[in-house]
Amino acid sequence: MSTDTFTTIVQTAFDAVAKGVNGQASGPMHLQRVAALNAFTKQGIPTTRHEEWKYTNVMPFIGLPFSSERHEGTTDPLTIDDISQSSSGLHEALEGGWTVAIINGRYEQNLSSVPQHVPGLTIEALTDELVATDSAVRTALGSLAPIDLHPFVAVNAALTHQGVVIRLDANITLERTIHIAIVNDVRQQDTLATPRILVLAGARSSVDIVESHHTIGSFTALDISVAECVLRPECAVRYTKIVDAVPNSTLKNISSIAASVEHGSRFTSFAVSLGASFVRNDLLVRLIEPASETYLYGASVLGGSEYADNHTVVDHAVHHCHSEELYKGLYDGSSIGVFNGKIFVRPQAQKTTAYQSNHTILLSDKAQVNAKPQLEIWADDVKCSHGATSGQLNEEAIFYLRSRGIDADKARALMTYAFVAEVLEHMDHDALRLHCEQRIATKLGAEPFAP
Amino acid sequence: MTPILQITDLTAGIEEREILKGITLTVNPGEVHAIMGPNGSGKSTLASVLAGRADYTVTGGTVSFMGKDLLDMAPEERAREGMFLAFQYPVEIPGVSTANFLKTSVNELRKHRGQEPLAPAAFLSLMRERMKLVEMDQSFLSRSLNDGFSGGEKKRNEIFQMAMLEPVLAVLDETDSGLDIDALRIVAGGVNALRSSSTATIVITHYQRLLDYIVPDVVHVLWNGRIVRSGGKELALELEKRGYDWIKAESAVEA
Repeated sequence: MSTDTFTTIVQTAFDAVAKGVNGQASGPMHLQRVAALNAFTKQGIPTTRHEEWKYTNVMPFIGLPFSSERHEGTTDPLTIDDISQSSSGLHEALEGGWTVAIINGRYEQNLSSVPQHVPGLTIEALTDELVATDSAVRTALGSLAPIDLHPFVAVNAALTHQGVVIRLDANITLERTIHIAIVNDVRQQDTLATPRILVLAGARSSVDIVESHHTIGSFTALDISVAECVLRPECAVRYTKIVDAVPNSTLKNISSIAASVEHGSRFTSFAVSLGASFVRNDLLVRLIEPASETYLYGASVLGGSEYADNHTVVDHAVHHCHSEELYKGLYDGSSIGVFNGKIFVRPQAQKTTAYQSNHTILLSDKAQVNAKPQLEIWADDVKCSHGATSGQLNEEAIFYLRSRGIDADKARALMTYAFVAEVLEHMDHDALRLHCEQRIATKLGAEPFAP
Repeated sequence: MTPILQITDLTAGIEEREILKGITLTVNPGEVHAIMGPNGSGKSTLASVLAGRADYTVTGGTVSFMGKDLLDMAPEERAREGMFLAFQYPVEIPGVSTANFLKTSVNELRKHRGQEPLAPAAFLSLMRERMKLVEMDQSFLSRSLNDGFSGGEKKRNEIFQMAMLEPVLAVLDETDSGLDIDALRIVAGGVNALRSSSTATIVITHYQRLLDYIVPDVVHVLWNGRIVRSGGKELALELEKRGYDWIKAESAVEA
């Protein structure tokens, strides 16, 4: 029953988008939508019998009466202040950066703070017209996040409307951070939003992008987001995804981030999950030219009945590429964490180096973690490793701290904090790292202690 | 004069097994006591019980620290009252920097004494001064606590922490184990520099070697959970020469 409801909602939303495309009904973007809707219909809503969705149970919320329509005029329009307040301090922490506001899935230029003319940077709405006229956008859109393998990517692609394209020209190093604030306005009703982001990073460019997800209001937000990043040769993209919603947020975020990395380029990803009732991250990085590399980091700090699921895929398609992955999770209450890390090393990908590790601490008897490393190696001259641990806090270390005058609660908080902080040590963006450290410390009742 | 530490008929064990079988010991201000004994005699158990390690259960006797009931205090309270245990195996804690850890620790002790937290500049200069005592490089401060430190570096870090916390009673649990002669000299130098007429030290060791550098006022031999012999520093030399077997034999006869 509930799945029928959702399917109907998607169809209705699709019809509404289709009605608005006017002269572009046979344009390339709308053809993608049609194909995506078919792909979704074919796959249906995944159940926990599906291997990739074994622990990710969307059934408890998928049957809600989500609406993707915006009822203008019934609530006060959102302001920059509203966005800032919903961001748990991130917006202030990134002061000096530029905000790209996406409200209920749509890029809102008037709430964004990117100046009109920044040399080498273009930020614009992803429209049917743009896809029709711009071959770079047309080639990239939908090329990295596969609609056939992920039903919610298909939902996003079927409903994509007013997404955002961030384009960095060759040789441009952007000093300012681009903060994509994805805000779900749920003051009036349960909403479905499908934010779509396309990042085109030119050769030898460098940029920090932070994608954050928030809610305003108390209805349920289903936020199905897709970001695709194309990294041309010798560029560096640092892409951080943060879900740190305000307390009691009803945010359900199903996110896909996919990147293709060309010669000599580096894609660095952080997935920070601190507060939301449900987060599913799919991260897919394809190393498609030699000497490309990727660094994937994840930190999940959950409590209550929160759920965070990280599915990562690193695809070593060619020789001489390098990947490193470190994910840590800290689970309290009856929270559940999932880590599924796939590494593919294709037959031609000789001299690959690929390392993966995943560590978990369970702070309560009711918390759970499900970890599954999955290495598929078809080349023979490679160095690959993976390690996964799950355990409790080191009691000897707690005693050590107590024997130095630090009380038991503080010692525990410090140890749990330090466990996760190790991941953040890899974050080069000082303001962002300090913010994340502070937020994690606050959630744990500790003080930031990292070296 | 109130003794710094007064242990009376202390019995303690782990799970069902009794390890300390009636320890009585008085440590006065200004004194250095060495506790020696063969492996398994209860030396480290005594150190653990004094520091308040939860694995051990005290089954009888009393321990008074500066006139207060030590056994009634949580480990952190003992530290705040001036007890310091230099660990035999200092724990590695990735993600916690030595400097920040010590700042918290020092300020917890200061708070307990009703003092304001140290200003960052004052704290930094105190750290720099005390690091010199154990010839530690400043780069250690920004590294994670004991993380990747060598055995000698960990032990020096223990003595550095002791220098920062200025304890009334320091218990060194086999601080000499695993140290080469240079590290031993540095560690002992640090301990000696901190000796004063109002504080005391208990050196727990298996070998006499450390006592060449930290000269004790009293030497106790622990065997089978009891102090079976006490004497001056010459007792340590005799143990070095004759081993522990004659003590075991004698105490077996007495028993």
